[in-house]
Amino acid sequence: MKALLISLLFIGLVASFLWPSADRGTVESEAVFRMNLTAEPPTLDWALATDNVSIRVIENLMEGLTAYDAALRPQPAIAARWTVSGDGRIYTFHLRPDVYWSDGKQVTAHDFEYAWKRLLNPATASEYAYFLYDVENAAAYNTGRIKDADLVGVKALHDLTLRVDLKKQAVYFPSVTTFTATFPQRKDLIERYGDRWTEPAHLVTLGAFRLEEWRHEYRLTLVANEHYYGDRPALDRVIFYVVSEETTALTLYETGYLDRVTLPPIAIPRYKTHPDYVRAPFLRGYYYGFNLDKAPFDKVKVRQAFSMAIDREEIPKILKGGEIPATSWIPQGMFAHNPEIGLAFNPEKARRFLAEAGYKNGAGLPPITLAFNTDPTNRMIAEHIQAQWKKNLGVTVLLDNMEWKVYLQQLREDTPQVFRLGWGADYPDPDNFMNLFTSTSGNNNTHWGNAEYDRFISDAASEGDPSKRLALYDAAQRILTETDVPIMPLFFAAQNLLISPEIEGLEVNAMDLIHLKKVKRKPSNKVQS
Amino acid sequence: MIQPLFWPRFRQDRLAVASLLLIAALLLIAIFGDVIAPYAHDLQNTDNNLAAPNAQHWMGTDALGRDLFSRLIYGTRISMAVSLLTGVSALLLGTCYGAVSGYAGGRIDNAMMRGVDVLYAIPDLLLIILITVLIGRGVSGVFLALSLVGWITVARLIRGEVLRLKENAYVEAARAFGVKDVRILLKHILPNTFGVLIVTLTFRIPSAILAESTLSFIGLGLTPPAASWGTLANEGWKALKFYPHLIFFPGLAIFMTMLAFNFLGDGLRDALDPKQNKVS
Repeated sequence: MKALLISLLFIGLVASFLWPSADRGTVESEAVFRMNLTAEPPTLDWALATDNVSIRVIENLMEGLTAYDAALRPQPAIAARWTVSGDGRIYTFHLRPDVYWSDGKQVTAHDFEYAWKRLLNPATASEYAYFLYDVENAAAYNTGRIKDADLVGVKALHDLTLRVDLKKQAVYFPSVTTFTATFPQRKDLIERYGDRWTEPAHLVTLGAFRLEEWRHEYRLTLVANEHYYGDRPALDRVIFYVVSEETTALTLYETGYLDRVTLPPIAIPRYKTHPDYVRAPFLRGYYYGFNLDKAPFDKVKVRQAFSMAIDREEIPKILKGGEIPATSWIPQGMFAHNPEIGLAFNPEKARRFLAEAGYKNGAGLPPITLAFNTDPTNRMIAEHIQAQWKKNLGVTVLLDNMEWKVYLQQLREDTPQVFRLGWGADYPDPDNFMNLFTSTSGNNNTHWGNAEYDRFISDAASEGDPSKRLALYDAAQRILTETDVPIMPLFFAAQNLLISPEIEGLEVNAMDLIHLKKVKRKPSNKVQS
Repeated sequence: MIQPLFWPRFRQDRLAVASLLLIAALLLIAIFGDVIAPYAHDLQNTDNNLAAPNAQHWMGTDALGRDLFSRLIYGTRISMAVSLLTGVSALLLGTCYGAVSGYAGGRIDNAMMRGVDVLYAIPDLLLIILITVLIGRGVSGVFLALSLVGWITVARLIRGEVLRLKENAYVEAARAFGVKDVRILLKHILPNTFGVLIVTLTFRIPSAILAESTLSFIGLGLTPPAASWGTLANEGWKALKFYPHLIFFPGLAIFMTMLAFNFLGDGLRDALDPKQNKVS
């Protein structure tokens, strides 16, 4: 074991001397942007990608019908314009005629029709298929209740016109079409290459950049796409390095090998006054879920007691990154955010509830395990919550951590009694956060379902009147965080970044989307670096 | 086994004596930790986290505002217990197995050693992971896993020693006098392996500390908020650049202990070696 450690250290040392020096050469001759990915992207197939690492790469290779502006409002992209029928159920997208794939072929409405039907095809097994459940018959086709894909409400009327029939009004639909899972795909290429169509040699895209090289577990290189319909990006090359260790990434930033890096909590106090430091809000919630099938969390009083026993104001003191303590679920900065909702910290009431559930001072409780995926931040929070439960409820909770892929599998197959998860916005509408806990959501691990909640969420999705919509979300949030409590929200995250002063135009938005097509490297520094 | 000249000779080795004192002090800290520690090891104070060493907290506090000095003392108990117990139990198991195998020789030896080869072919870490997954997490899981892996190397070493020693003339002589096998093994062969055993033990202990922290790192070791030197160092090195006290003190503890065990091992071997006894 010792020999292994030493040899690993040695390899690391040698590698650290060798690999960045090669990139320095390229920086001198062209405009390059370099950042790290926290893991190897699991897939570059945008119908299958569900994680932020894959999406980080895909969102720079591809575009959809619509795209966000800086304020996260959907704007025309491949669709030059769209019309909506009077009842809000039929969207007709008119595509730009000048959009080409990187192999020179024109982008047509058929590419969208194919992609959406592939996403919904049960054989594709995409976890994001439910994103298009607003489309007529999409849910039925995806769950196998109907076999005929032609019944799904998406049709290319001709090459440049796409008609989408929704099952009912969905006011946020142009936001849904900004999302990677709804991007067009090439039937001919996927059929020809099978699973290998995302390899650099075969991958055909249409965004501002195209994939030039993918060296697994090391780096992905993107270069400007000469067939892009918009203005040529100011960057010639984008390099994503796979660096999972936060402190390693920070060291690479400091030595000038990365242009943007996320700060680990422990580094934030030291960098607060650094000229490159950027703090921004983040539409990302962090919660602990309860498995309602396992004792003692089958009892609502126990769940309420556990949620009330936590003083969430302590969390920003630990994480130090401007996190917002949360008892409700819709994040700050989003419509229908309401900090008044949820169970406030009240240790006496929490102890009373626990006693009323039959576990006075925790007596008679089965062993309770809190599970989280291995990560320094998750661990700090888990240890802190563990101490609060012990102090305020007198309950000893065991901690269990697992590697990310194992953890996700565990959540699906045998959900722990208490588990940690986060949710980042896919589109800046409360539907994206609230839909997560409906009984039909593939990402709801709590084994909780409430017909009234489901109805509120479904009604809110098609409600055009903001005040009525707000009332529906308030009512739903009360069910989620006060009366049924399948989850206890903990906080809304913040972004704490360092961005190189040589980089211009890198917008930091609340969804952590990084669109590099407008990013520039300052020419004066181009040669120096 | 006890050599008449042991103490006078051992005493001359200043480093070994100092090491012995240090290890004795560590054992006392481990036993009376609750009395010495100024705070509870899991007491959190988020208003005073990541504090540098000061009068209230001699070694500063960690990211959750826990007193590092108290955690280090608590960690001493776990690290010492795990490393000593696994070291000794691996030694006992390995010695019995290796001695029997080496002394018996022939087919028995062949069969026993092929069994060891099979276990040896499996990477340590994999075996440890398998065992902890079966037994479950926590101190006992770590202890059992490390013991069950540790004896393999010891068994090989001892078997080799016994193979060499049993060809000696004095063993032959004992056999000629009709001394029973068990007695020959215990009285005439094993005492001569003592030097090797001591050296092995001094290497087992630091590697047990390392293995324990490896296990904690991949999530199969101690469950938080329990702390060992390994877990403290593991938490500390991530903060190396910003809060060096978090790695400095656990690192110092591990470093000093490993040195002490190595010096003690050297001193003991020199003082105990029966062959040197004959010459002097």
